Amino acid sequence: MTGPQRTEYAVAVVGAGVVGLYTAYHLAQAGVGPVLVLDRGFLSSGASGRNGGGVRQQWETRATVRLARESVAAYRRFGRDFGYNIWFRQGGYVFLAENEVALGRLRIVHQTVRSEGLGSRILDEAGVTRLVPGLAAGAAVGGTYLRTDGTLYPFPAIWGLYEAVRARGVEVALGVEAVGVEQEAGRVVGLVTRSGSVRVPKVVNAAGGWSGDLSRSVGLEVPNRATRHEILATEPIKPFLDPMVVRPSDGLYFSQTMRGEIVGGLTVPHEPGTAQGMGSSAAFLPRMAAALTRLIPRLGGLGVLRAWSGFYDDTPDGFPVIGEDPRLTGFYHANGFGGHGFMLAPASSRRVAQSVMGEKTDLDPGLFGVGRFFTPGEAPRAERLQLG
Amino acid sequence: MVADHGWPSRRLDLLAGFDLIFRHGIDTLHGFRRPAFATPFYQRVIRRLAGYGAPPSATASVGLTGPPTLLDVDTVIVGAGRSGRAVAGALVAAGLHPLVVERRLQPPPIPGADLLTATTATFLPPRVPTGDPPFEILGSVEPGRGLRIRARRVVVATGSYDGGLLFESSDRPGVVTADGALAMRDGRGQPPFRRAVVFGSGDRAKAALEQLGDHVVAVASPTEVPPDLVAEANRHGALLYPRSLILGVGGRRRVRSVTLRSRGDGTTTEVDADALVLAHRRLPNSQLFFQAGARVAWRAGTGAYYPIVGDDGTTSVPGLWAVGSAAGATTSGSIGSGERTGASLTGGSVPLAPIERIRSEGPNDMEGYYRDLLRESRTGRWIVCPCEDVLLGEVEHASRSGYRGMEVIKRYTGVGTGLCQGRYCVPDTLLLLALLEQRTPTEVGYLTQRPPVHPTPLAALAALNVSEPISEGP
Repeated sequence: MTGPQRTEYAVAVVGAGVVGLYTAYHLAQAGVGPVLVLDRGFLSSGASGRNGGGVRQQWETRATVRLARESVAAYRRFGRDFGYNIWFRQGGYVFLAENEVALGRLRIVHQTVRSEGLGSRILDEAGVTRLVPGLAAGAAVGGTYLRTDGTLYPFPAIWGLYEAVRARGVEVALGVEAVGVEQEAGRVVGLVTRSGSVRVPKVVNAAGGWSGDLSRSVGLEVPNRATRHEILATEPIKPFLDPMVVRPSDGLYFSQTMRGEIVGGLTVPHEPGTAQGMGSSAAFLPRMAAALTRLIPRLGGLGVLRAWSGFYDDTPDGFPVIGEDPRLTGFYHANGFGGHGFMLAPASSRRVAQSVMGEKTDLDPGLFGVGRFFTPGEAPRAERLQLG
Repeated sequence: MVADHGWPSRRLDLLAGFDLIFRHGIDTLHGFRRPAFATPFYQRVIRRLAGYGAPPSATASVGLTGPPTLLDVDTVIVGAGRSGRAVAGALVAAGLHPLVVERRLQPPPIPGADLLTATTATFLPPRVPTGDPPFEILGSVEPGRGLRIRARRVVVATGSYDGGLLFESSDRPGVVTADGALAMRDGRGQPPFRRAVVFGSGDRAKAALEQLGDHVVAVASPTEVPPDLVAEANRHGALLYPRSLILGVGGRRRVRSVTLRSRGDGTTTEVDADALVLAHRRLPNSQLFFQAGARVAWRAGTGAYYPIVGDDGTTSVPGLWAVGSAAGATTSGSIGSGERTGASLTGGSVPLAPIERIRSEGPNDMEGYYRDLLRESRTGRWIVCPCEDVLLGEVEHASRSGYRGMEVIKRYTGVGTGLCQGRYCVPDTLLLLALLEQRTPTEVGYLTQRPPVHPTPLAALAALNVSEPISEGP
């Protein structure tokens, strides 16, 4: 819990999750320094240590498909680049449709994904049953499948990034909470933490579920909402399930890890806000267990080993917020990933770093810029394939 | 040797070859990264080895689906041991009809009380400040049916258990806790060993010696041996090894010897033995207190967290009582603590002696023990976490690499993530990390105690997804 070692930095990144660490990595690789990364908790205490490890490229929007595709390529290289095996296993993602209407929605996704050159497939009921052994009869009329989607272990990815940025001179201060920025004439000049202030002209808000709190404490109104999301893991059994399975209608998703555990979650509505804490509710386990055993009845005898929760950093339109805030020079957003931080972090963080270095990025500001939330006349667009 | 998860069969287990090749475990964090083209092949091999058992067959879960048991009661007592029975007895005597839940099968009946064999998944306290809904306990009743109890008052009498210990070959058959040795004796009529070494110096070691004495050849103690234990050992003709480290056990298929090192003069002794009975450390089953959000305090003497309780067993959570050894009472003080809480619950005023609590202040004997142990040279596998096969070397490596704190070490190594929910590895890992990080155990931190308290079948939980809305809880 030691505070920052220096009094002055070139860039401060708030949040040592996958987005913050990747951003610091890209900055350090480009020779930017000194860089400070700080986190209110311990390493992997936020959503980067609490997610289901899914990495998919099936999205409704081409821009998101591209970020995801680039991120998949980065995870394939991760072991070589960072020295840690994250067990990125491309077992595919199956999106289930329980009726023809749901299948119709997935067809739109399928066409977008294919138009980006990825080999998405439409499955009929038999095709789904082949990929998801033990699926209850009539549980799905079909779905989509992309073989190159996959799952990874989040923890080693965090260890690899942490060690890589430290080896490149980035300072990582854990247990240090950022509480605001110092401004002069509409510019960032410093960062205030619970362990004192530092002088820094550029601050990246990669605080995940806490990013909305940070932006608002700076006086920047943002629509980010932290929503608690729960997840469980069962005892490990012999691997029988290759893909990640997602049902968009209720947000059910699950996969089987390399260790054999079934890990998955389900959307249960909770009050928004970080003040709710990361506890478990009475509603989640019964609902999740019912959804899972209705889908694959033979899992009924499997013991649940652990349940936990974390925060999604949700935005109203389902797109993350990336880039400098036009209202405050030097304040950069790298948040609003809404449960998809791991899926999009490598590619998104590279663009965050570009933006911090004053370079132009290839991202459409109308989709990813924070300005979209308060620019009148902007056509409302949304990434609706949000769950899973 | 017969291996339950052997491949291709239980008798001929070729997978055991992995233990010979990878003497210090497989480093899955750094191994199997290169060459990249081989990744899918590695993954196929590892997935062959993963998991404890085959995926359940289509018929396996048929008997598990059934209507759940939904109970609304005034008072539920969790645990039918000494203190739980004392509370139940007091309530019955006052004309009440308490519900007692017990994890073990076929506990002796308690006249006038309902007794249910059940395990807990989720335990939620009442919502403040309204107290509505009341306590909510979700779990399962044998053989795996869903159980939901709503109760206005909950008495936690979950007792305590014998902790584990770190030494070479601690996974050898024949290494047992005193709990395990006594359970095996009760199940078979006599313990499955003839020449055991009992490790410990306190009441628990004395109790183990009293009950297993004819099958014990030696008592090894981490500290000096108190006079009453000396007398008990002499009565059974057991040799005494005071101030000793357990370095390891020998024997290929089961324990054949126990290697001790004197903490005084450094001499090494190999005792011919067929079992090692661990009776050195009694730890409270405190998960329910953590889950309910009750205030707890670290007690250095035992190296564990206990709920902060009033004289009658009240905790910081209104309606939640803690009794018996889970609340820090000694074995002999357990019944008294249950009677006192029973009197408080029924509004009675029985004059009672102060509750005898375990020595919990002052330094922990095991801290000094592990400080001495870590100075010893080590070879082979010292298993910190038996469920997940986490080795001492992995914990030391993580600590050297700059990862600090129990929560981070858990995520880095997997320690504490197995079927025992960390009960057998976390208390000792905490002491080791305190030494490695040169901090106090409270600074090293603790694991968040997550539901379920015990592994609970999906079918049992699914049955609880009834139309009546379940409260969201905190």
